[in-house]
Amino acid sequence: MMTDKQSAEDDEMMTQVARLVNELDPPPPGLIERTQFAIAIDDIDIEAARWADDRPLAGVRGGMPGTITFFVGDLTVMVNVTRTGERQRIDGWLVPAGEHGVEVRVADHGSTQTTADEGGRFVLTEVPRGTTQILVRMKADRPRTVVTPTVVL
Amino acid sequence: MADLRTASMSPPWEGLEGRDRHAACLVAARSGDRKALDVLVAELTPLVWHVARGNGLDRTTAEDVVQTVWLALLRHIDRLDEPKALVGWLITTARREANRTRRRGATNVELPAEMAEKMVGDDPLPEAQLLRDERDQQLWAAFHQLPPRCQELLRMTVLAGRAEYRAVAEELKMPHGSIGPTRGRCLSSLRKLYDGEAGR
Repeated sequence: MMTDKQSAEDDEMMTQVARLVNELDPPPPGLIERTQFAIAIDDIDIEAARWADDRPLAGVRGGMPGTITFFVGDLTVMVNVTRTGERQRIDGWLVPAGEHGVEVRVADHGSTQTTADEGGRFVLTEVPRGTTQILVRMKADRPRTVVTPTVVL
Repeated sequence: MADLRTASMSPPWEGLEGRDRHAACLVAARSGDRKALDVLVAELTPLVWHVARGNGLDRTTAEDVVQTVWLALLRHIDRLDEPKALVGWLITTARREANRTRRRGATNVELPAEMAEKMVGDDPLPEAQLLRDERDQQLWAAFHQLPPRCQELLRMTVLAGRAEYRAVAEELKMPHGSIGPTRGRCLSSLRKLYDGEAGR
């Protein structure tokens, strides 16, 4: 049986936890908008890719270009980002290779598309900077679209 | 005819709350209503966020997992048998995705030195640097030593304390203002950990 003292202590502890959670750990600003952007796609058979854990070298997140990798199932995609003035160049490599469609969507800046060569390489130039999502449309028996979470490039 | 047009202009979820509202949004989203999906994302993302964070992910990874969960919903939207079970589905999916992501992190291959150098410091609680009060830092550190189940439950309790989440809380059987036995146990554990942190 819980005593009144215990229950008052619980309430007090809960108040402190609530204060810290609300103060320190709210969802990041813009997360809702970025998520709404990420799911505003027409593809039906989609598969969410994960950024690989080498992502911190994605100092990319801090606004510094670099290499990031994402994968889903047996597909791995390496992406290298180079600044070109206000814009950037994206060099990518799909493994296993295939002539798959690649689309880079940038929030408020439309999208850029290309097709990987038979070695799995693709290049996109003059890509605007911003909240970016990469889609790979797999040319396979069962066509499907691999979609990344957004990353700020 | 005029009545029909008026009816079709106000979204089907308008005026609804909690489970009914989300079910109405989900049904509308299935028939291609983007606005309905945006409403769900706006209203339920904090919930998904706190499940991801409660299950041990740092803020950056939690952000990815939030998006992954919503992409998964997009993929499964026609296959959710019971639209009213959406909140439960989001929580389960977020938990599973968080665990999968954490496991992968734990078994990650060693990074080449050059890459490792670029890694930001591995302070597990970078957000705590914002805290000037030492007792707050100790409480935040203690909170993160709780088992995920407790962290998640207490985070849900925090959400449930906000007016706009009252209906979600009822759905999760977490009525506002009452501390159930499980929550009581989590708070006791927290108090012990906190006393340990504070060296008392």
